[in-house]
Amino acid sequence: MNVIVCVKQIPDPALPGELDADNTLKRDGKLILDESDSYGVEMALQLVTAAGGGAVSLVSMAPNEEVSGLRTALAMGAEKAVLVSDPSLAGADALTTAKVLAGAVGKAGDYDLVIAGTESSDGYTGTVPEQIAEVLGLPSVTFAKSIAVDGDTVKVERQTEAGYDEVTCPLPAVVSVTAGVVEPRYPSFKGIMAAKSKPVENVTAADLGIESVSWAQSITAVEDAPAREAGEIIEDDGETFNKIVEYLDNLKVI
Amino acid sequence: MYAWNDEQLMIRDAVREFIEAEIAPKREELEFGDTPPYDLLRKLFATFGMDQMARDRFEKTIAFEKSVEAAVAAGDSPPERESRNEGNDPSLSMIPIIELCRYSPGMVTAMGVSMGLSSAAIMSKGTIAQKERWALDLLTLDKIGAWAITEPNSGSDAFGSMKATARRDGDEYVLNGSKTFITNGPYADTIIFICKLDEGNPPEERKVLSFVLDSGMPGLEQSKPLRKMGMHSSPTGELFLDDVRVGIDRLIGETEDLPSGGRDGAKATFTIERSGVAAMALGMIGKALELCIEYAKERVQFGQPIGEFQLIQDKLARMEVARLNVENLVFRYIETTRDGVSLTLAEASAMKLYSARAAMEVALEAVQIFGGNGYMSEFQVEQIARDAKVLQIYAGTDELQITHIAKDLLRR
Ligand SMILES: Cc1cc2nc3c(=O)[nH]c(=O)nc-3n(C[C@H](O)[C@H](O)[C@H](O)COP(=O)(O)OP(=O)(O)OC[C@H]3O[C@@H](n4cnc5c(N)ncnc54)[C@H](O)[C@@H]3O)c2cc1C
Repeated sequence: MNVIVCVKQIPDPALPGELDADNTLKRDGKLILDESDSYGVEMALQLVTAAGGGAVSLVSMAPNEEVSGLRTALAMGAEKAVLVSDPSLAGADALTTAKVLAGAVGKAGDYDLVIAGTESSDGYTGTVPEQIAEVLGLPSVTFAKSIAVDGDTVKVERQTEAGYDEVTCPLPAVVSVTAGVVEPRYPSFKGIMAAKSKPVENVTAADLGIESVSWAQSITAVEDAPAREAGEIIEDDGETFNKIVEYLDNLKVI
Repeated sequence: MYAWNDEQLMIRDAVREFIEAEIAPKREELEFGDTPPYDLLRKLFATFGMDQMARDRFEKTIAFEKSVEAAVAAGDSPPERESRNEGNDPSLSMIPIIELCRYSPGMVTAMGVSMGLSSAAIMSKGTIAQKERWALDLLTLDKIGAWAITEPNSGSDAFGSMKATARRDGDEYVLNGSKTFITNGPYADTIIFICKLDEGNPPEERKVLSFVLDSGMPGLEQSKPLRKMGMHSSPTGELFLDDVRVGIDRLIGETEDLPSGGRDGAKATFTIERSGVAAMALGMIGKALELCIEYAKERVQFGQPIGEFQLIQDKLARMEVARLNVENLVFRYIETTRDGVSLTLAEASAMKLYSARAAMEVALEAVQIFGGNGYMSEFQVEQIARDAKVLQIYAGTDELQITHIAKDLLRR
């Protein structure tokens, strides 16, 4: 069984980020594997192991032929990667990204399943996986909290607000996974040392047959999140719990 | 090398993340709760495949040694070893040492004595059968090892005043003596017991022999952990041997006639220890300096952060000098080892002496920068200061390192 995982390489969230002139995040420094994609990589590795063979391949779109984040996923156990790095794609919107990644999936070889994170930690549009499915003409299952493959179908427990749905869907399909679908492994020392010599194929948009890229979506303004307002302090007079119950009741959370 | 390369950084970051998630939150119980460190160490090994790597390297070594033995037995010329250091990148052991020491130098002490010193004693002079029987489990941390040379009346002068004895009795040896300050002593499964062969001759002429003991052998007693100043996550204890009977299969090398009367065998491990101490010092210095920089920026007195005072700046600057020097020593060790060049006695001792002193100085200055907080257990510099002191005592005291450096220089 072969699984392709879409992974995003993002600026380290621990560092103070900066914006480019077009209000998108500056991406000229070292990029790391988006933590929300490490779950997909782990899920894919486990599915391939459970199937008793096959490979996990990666597709990614990132500027400056950045591979740092890909190396992390390769060190975890993925076998190869297709990296789309093309200055004309800087600041691309979600649909353009999906078209590019769908093209990259086509380059990554035969596959039974495509996995992506529900949303990236730096963009949060949360639409790319479904758009990839549409471009590839494949069924799409979102918010997977567990995935099992059974012959030609995939069984997904799909997280909902109330609990979860059980979804069965024919393969190949695109499944987006939530954080926590599985616990991502640490890369072993051997895996880290092997990652350097695993193949990463560098391609441009044109190599994928995507000519004259342009997109309609733009970010017009970015504002700081409003500062948190001061909370209400309730002095403990022995009956405080009543006030807290009343407070929560007013909020309609209990 | 002057910096870690991309791969080494990836290893460092992964190990750091593991330690901050799995070990740092347990500091309290490791420091003050007598929790043995072995399960956490095994988890570290399993997580990063260090156990499997040790197994692979062991199998390769043994396969090679068997091929040499077979060739010699057949009267052929023995095969050449491919490359002595192939697949043996010392940074792979140095990085976990450095990173562990940012939180728990005691874990490195426990780990180093078990998989380093104890296994090396067998790997350097043991027979193939002995290596297969004991060393592999030590290298993977499946079993915990102790290495026992120090006695109540014999420390720096380890061989001169050693009282522990082996006496021949038929096909067997009878072992007696007591050992103290033995790392992992209370919990060890496998113990390297170093003693003198008593043939009725004067003690200074006796051969030095090393035996491998298993926990639970009749006549062997392992004490509870001793209370001590620092390194609380490394259990240290005493061993008492009262007529412990062993066959020659437990005598390392299965011969009484190792070169230099066995003294070399016991000393082969000193280079491992001394480079390990430098890596430990680097982790402790690095952490102390980071904590101090943060504190110097945050702590306000006389209306300004204490980092604005030149007397505090002087301390930070000296710490950075120490960090750079120790880092350079560690990097140098990694490079020489990778090139198959071994350190001279003077070099290994100088590295240990300098690093241990630097760690102690930095740790005490860190306490000073933190003021009263620095003296409180809640703040980590207090632990670093207690832990650092032993770097100047074990693996050969500062004074012994100086003696070794001078001896090596003067005999050239
Ligand atoms: C935490 C810890 C763990 C240990 N783990 C182990 C272990 O696993 N296995 C083991 O066998 N041992 C272990 N040791 C013992 C350690 O190796 C000895 O403590 C060390 O070698 C010093 O010996 P000593 O304590 O007897 O001090 P001594 O040798 O009595 O030294 C006392 C002082 O005299 C100085 N001195 C001695 N001789 C000279 C000289 N010729 N010239 C100048 N000064 C001299 C010393 O430097 C020191 O300052 C451990 C010790 C500690 C504290």
